[in-house]
Amino acid sequence: KKMASKIRVVLRPVKSIVVRFCPFESNVESTRKFLGCINHKKIQATNRNCEVTADVRHDGSEPLVDVMFADGERLIMKGANLTTIEMLTALGSRCNAKELMEEQKSKKKNP
Amino acid sequence: APALSAARLPLSTGWLPALQFVRRGSKAVTRHWKAMHFQRQKLMAVTEYVAPRPAVPPRCLTPRKERVEEEDNGYARLLRRQVEEVFRDNRMIAVCQYNSMPGEDMVLMRHYLRKHNIEVKFVLNEIVRPVLSQSKYKNLLPLFVARNILLVSPELKAKEMLRVLKGMPQINLLGACIDNTILSRQGVENLAKLPSLEVSQGQTVGALALLPSQMSSLLQRGSAHLTALLDEHIRRLQARETGSPAEPAPAQSSGTH
Repeated sequence: KKMASKIRVVLRPVKSIVVRFCPFESNVESTRKFLGCINHKKIQATNRNCEVTADVRHDGSEPLVDVMFADGERLIMKGANLTTIEMLTALGSRCNAKELMEEQKSKKKNP
Repeated sequence: APALSAARLPLSTGWLPALQFVRRGSKAVTRHWKAMHFQRQKLMAVTEYVAPRPAVPPRCLTPRKERVEEEDNGYARLLRRQVEEVFRDNRMIAVCQYNSMPGEDMVLMRHYLRKHNIEVKFVLNEIVRPVLSQSKYKNLLPLFVARNILLVSPELKAKEMLRVLKGMPQINLLGACIDNTILSRQGVENLAKLPSLEVSQGQTVGALALLPSQMSSLLQRGSAHLTALLDEHIRRLQARETGSPAEPAPAQSSGTH
């Protein structure tokens, strides 16, 4: 229905993203697609300082997405039973919430 | 008051009819779109086609499984043949995940890899999967999800390949099939750390030759010790008998050693 590449995430409040998966497992498809979508030009353009690292292992561990925000918060998504769109929307909603908070803070500082 | 007394409505007293016919202007059949006559509009609205509703709405019925036909597309067949060729001809095949990369970086990467005789091939999963499932590389099947590229080469240049890929964060090495052995990323890194073939051959030969040489030196230790002692003894005897010209038997023992 909704294409995963159409979801736009603003990565400004994000400091780094680590995507860990084991490609020989069978439950990594959504995590790999998530990685592919995050590396899209437009999403990367929202924040050039955000480092996206892919950690390829072979120890049978489950796929994991570890997002570190600029204010120290950490979001861990276990992608074994999640779809790409769910992960993207979850990340997007949190980013938007943080953006709103920052805007409100800056407005309070400069009235 | 004077107009409304008669039954017929006379036109002269400022009464405009509801319908007005245009005397001049466009004809019935025009090249541009002409508004329909009001009666015709009403007729068209009334006689619009209403589709018959099925007895059971389609949502309630289980959807029919639309089997994707084999199609046996010539193009698909060609691609499949190419993939088979690739797997047969090359010793090293590395599978990497491809996240969208800017064009210049792509060209640069291709250039660097070409220098080491490594080719970059874009593959479609739906073509590669049937080829793999029929060949002996079944364990490579779970790798082919999402966008992938293949780096193929007839030579084993794991170190250079890793170096090139380290500079590209958008390409992630997932695994490789080197000399019909399936390796994970760790395996490829270990392979790159190994010394070259000549060095390892030399090391093996040295290790193999070490044991017999040790054995021979052990075996000869006894007799060598004996000859050394005898030589020393002879020298002392000679030193004592200064002036005796004849050299006795010790010449034989020194000869045998």
